[in-house]
Amino acid sequence: MEQLPLPTSLAEVEELIRALYAPNTPETISKVQEVLHRLQRSPQGWQLAQSLISNPDNSIKFYAALTLIVKLNRESANLSEDDAKELLQNIVGWTLQSLSDGSGAFVTKKLCSALVTHFIYFSQLWPRCLRQFLFCLDVERSVPIEALDEALETNIIVSTLSREKLTVAIWFASSLVEEIGKTDMNSLKYAQVHDRLLRNGSDIACLLARGFAQSTESTTVDVEAEALSCFQSWILYAQRVSSNFDLLVNPLRELVEPAMRCFGNETHFQPTAELFSDVLSNYSSFFTAAHYDALASLFDSPWAAKHYDELLIGDHNTDGISFGLLMLAYGDAKVQDLMTSTDARSQRFLERLSGLLAANGYVAADDLVFVPALEFWSTFVETMIDSAYTDEEESQSWRPNADQHLKTVVMNCWRKIQWPPVEHFAEWDSTERAGFSDARKDVADMLQSIFTLNGVSLISFFVDLFLQSLAARSWAEVEASAFCLSALSDCTTDDPQSDFELSKVFSSPFFDLLGQAGGLIPLRLRQTGLSLIERYCEYFERHAEYLPHALNLLFAAVGDSILGGPSARSISTLCSSCRSILTGEAGAFIRHYQTIRSGQVLDSIAEERIIHAIASIIQAIVDEGQRLQMFEELYAIIKGDFERSLLLKAQPNLLDMSDPNFLRGVESSNTQGAPSAEDISLQISLRALRCLSSMAKGMQDVKDHVVELEADPRPVSRQGRLTNIQSDIIRLMVEVQRTFNTSGELVEIICNIFRAGFSETEPGPFVFPAEVVTDFFIQQPLETPRSGTLLSTACSFVGSLYRGPRTFVPIHLARLLPWVITMLQALPEPESDTEIAQNGISFVDRVMSRYPDVLFQLQPSQLLEFFFMFTLKVLNGKEPLPKSAAADFWTGFISLRNEDIVLQTTIANAMNHLGPLIAQTLVRNMGGNAARSELDKLSDPLKKLVTQHVKAQSWLEQALFHESFPSTQVTPLEKMAFLKKVVGLRGARQTNQLVREFWLSCRGSNFTYAS
Amino acid sequence: MALCQNRLQEERKQWRKDHPFGFFARPQKNAQGILDLKVWECGIPGKEKTIWEGGLFKMTVTFPDEYPTKPPKCKFVPPLFHPNVYPSGTVCLSILNEEEAWKPAITIKQILLGVQDLLNDPNPESPAQAEAYNLFKKDRVEYERRIKRTVRENAAP
Repeated sequence: MEQLPLPTSLAEVEELIRALYAPNTPETISKVQEVLHRLQRSPQGWQLAQSLISNPDNSIKFYAALTLIVKLNRESANLSEDDAKELLQNIVGWTLQSLSDGSGAFVTKKLCSALVTHFIYFSQLWPRCLRQFLFCLDVERSVPIEALDEALETNIIVSTLSREKLTVAIWFASSLVEEIGKTDMNSLKYAQVHDRLLRNGSDIACLLARGFAQSTESTTVDVEAEALSCFQSWILYAQRVSSNFDLLVNPLRELVEPAMRCFGNETHFQPTAELFSDVLSNYSSFFTAAHYDALASLFDSPWAAKHYDELLIGDHNTDGISFGLLMLAYGDAKVQDLMTSTDARSQRFLERLSGLLAANGYVAADDLVFVPALEFWSTFVETMIDSAYTDEEESQSWRPNADQHLKTVVMNCWRKIQWPPVEHFAEWDSTERAGFSDARKDVADMLQSIFTLNGVSLISFFVDLFLQSLAARSWAEVEASAFCLSALSDCTTDDPQSDFELSKVFSSPFFDLLGQAGGLIPLRLRQTGLSLIERYCEYFERHAEYLPHALNLLFAAVGDSILGGPSARSISTLCSSCRSILTGEAGAFIRHYQTIRSGQVLDSIAEERIIHAIASIIQAIVDEGQRLQMFEELYAIIKGDFERSLLLKAQPNLLDMSDPNFLRGVESSNTQGAPSAEDISLQISLRALRCLSSMAKGMQDVKDHVVELEADPRPVSRQGRLTNIQSDIIRLMVEVQRTFNTSGELVEIICNIFRAGFSETEPGPFVFPAEVVTDFFIQQPLETPRSGTLLSTACSFVGSLYRGPRTFVPIHLARLLPWVITMLQALPEPESDTEIAQNGISFVDRVMSRYPDVLFQLQPSQLLEFFFMFTLKVLNGKEPLPKSAAADFWTGFISLRNEDIVLQTTIANAMNHLGPLIAQTLVRNMGGNAARSELDKLSDPLKKLVTQHVKAQSWLEQALFHESFPSTQVTPLEKMAFLKKVVGLRGARQTNQLVREFWLSCRGSNFTYAS
Repeated sequence: MALCQNRLQEERKQWRKDHPFGFFARPQKNAQGILDLKVWECGIPGKEKTIWEGGLFKMTVTFPDEYPTKPPKCKFVPPLFHPNVYPSGTVCLSILNEEEAWKPAITIKQILLGVQDLLNDPNPESPAQAEAYNLFKKDRVEYERRIKRTVRENAAP
């Protein structure tokens, strides 16, 4: 940017300043700013300020004051003590002048800031700066510092100051504490300034006491408001002071009562309330017992009663809720005392605090005090819980009082969370809606805490409200009661008393009404009613008599666009956890499902949940024949989808968009016009596969069974009903995969289906024989999408093999191993697919850890050689996940030992060959190539190498001096020292630290941190 | 230990006073129904106008005895499909790492907002699970499809 030339006359400077504050383009303004900055910083800056200050234009005066601040901040060190004294006298003089010559308030305030800046650099010259300034204001001229000794007492000086002068003094006092507050109290540079500031404590007390004592005559200057805000700044500062604390806090405390009198003035009520609320919330120890007592009396006065009543019926959006917040801040500060109080005044106060939960209007939209009041009561409840577990029983004489208040709180909350009529709700904006829902959640939270204190009586309370409101057909009240009961579902256990209470609800006519189509019950209540069923899932496990009815209700809601999702979730939860009592219903539920899906296309996730629900019931059927019978019925529906999908793929002209069976294949999120028959056929298959996956998850056993590792595997029969089902499933999956061989999503779901079976120990339709799984994997062509996911599934498969009988494990591993390594060979670069690389290495690692013989007998042997080199490359690379797997592999490899002599010889030969290469790769990483976060992981193989192999030292030495070593920052001596230490530590934990330090030296001294 | 408890009390108070919309965070209850301040159940909503919008993801935050000197551990339950979430569900994020950007002044609110930001803005420099990381890098369409499904499965109520 081209610079403007420095101005040559004062007039030009003034012109530039005017241009700075006039509307201008950003470029012009920054140019002007730049030239003015240069001017300010030049030696003529002081003089410039002095010349400009007498200009009649406010903005020029302001700029002059600003220049003084800039100069003081930059060049104080160059000023002699006499210069500084003269400067002080001048600034005070200009400040006084600004008071009388009609300058704008912002000019006077800026000059006050300049005085404060002067104090920050020269506090030793006028340690009692406030008194000095007050004195000058009083005598209306800038007197030398030395003259202060002759001045009258500060309280006498302030007693005669005009309102205008008082205001300026308060501006100065505010700026003083705020600016100094920004400097670091603990730094040597500013410690003295802070200490001197404290010594102005008695002067500030005199000034503010006078400020608060102003009569309320109408005038343009609001001294009280200035004094309140100044007082707040000083208290805030006092809170941070640690030494000589009393010097400041005691005088400030004297001001509390005068400040409290400001409550009486309507104009000052709000700022006063904010001041007290702020100090009560953030610095409650500032107030003394006497202050608290005075506040308590104030709250008990007719004046407070009037404010309280206005708050309850008033318009919070216009009038604010300051008084309520003040009460709550007091309550919060004194919560412990209030809780244990039994005196009448405290009880009256608590009653009012509970009453704050019952102000007029709806929460969030009209009533703004409910949420903060709820927060107070949550604290109150938690304080009660704390004391309930720590205090002695006998000492809780206050408990009945507190319980009584809680009753009111609960009742008020129950009223407040009731939804407004639908048409009213529709008028709210999104913030109001969200606020209302949030408040309901907060109430639910608090109720859970209250349950800890009151137990089952809280359940009875809401059960009674529920039944009463139901009798009165008061739906909003029924909803609120059901909501509160839902909130308590996690708290209740299998206590017979609470079951007794809940049975009153679940056997009530409410659930009949809920089932009636086109019914009486509003949507919100239906939602809450259905979720009540879900929340009390465990209750239904104990009370099977109500369960079928509840499930019928849920099934009836499955097709609903709003209730469908939550209902399906409830069905899934209930069926899964109550599976063994529902076994008789499996057939009915399958027909239910069939009926629903023949009429409409269900939301896919809801459908999967229903399938999961039914499958989990089937899983619990004890009789195998019956179990498989039910399974086949459900499976047949899904199989039908597969067949339709394959048929459609082969004959696209069969597509009939009026048939729900085809519409299933139209993705709801699809917005790009009509999908093709091919798309639809794929989507139908994907949906069907997901349903199959849900079946597989539902069929997982929830009980634990003991596994006999030494036993023979179960004989695999090639016939039988279960085997037929399994073969059919596999056949379908293979066929679908072959038909849609480019879909990665499909591979992912098939993997999930396999995984669901891996964790099982008992036979089942998805617990495929190991050879079937192995066949499936090794027949996968290399170009299968999502091969990485296949490999990770293969890793899980190995895990499941290891959990079962051992006999045939090596055979499966030996068949899988070449497939895995070939997949790695097919990668163009080791890092081109991190998922394949990571899972491939992990797979081999798993084989090596248990069956090294299988690994070392791998044929052709080139596969193994390839794998070792591949894994070294990965260890040398940049991809964190495969690299970490490679580090694990080599850690295992280095420590490998076997009792079989032949095998041990093979291992030792391999190690002799690979040792130098492993050492080189590790050293390259530690020499700076690794990321910092990888160092710990990479230290593992190093530690093993040092402890397990005699040649480790020479391998490492060669590596450190090999040409591939990446750093030139370390000397040969340093390398040798590192090696000596590493070897000396013999694999101890400190090796990691040593590696870090070496790596840092290799990266160079200017390097401090990288991932 | 006392420091840890006091700080968590304060965090709870602050959270009640002011928490971002759609989130929840509360200490878990132990077997006796007493709050265990050192284990919090949290919910993180997907950000508006991102593919994560509409989801609510549950996360357990566990505070060590040395908190706030040491950071808490954040774990999605169930584990979440995301490049920076370990297969166990643990979140990998610099502000949660003692050796990186953790500072004792970081609040629970900041942590949860940080994790929310991470959802739609994964850090490819610190992958934690291969599946999501690989799809994120190699097949963004498939990645987004997976996220959208995860969101539907974890729809905010």
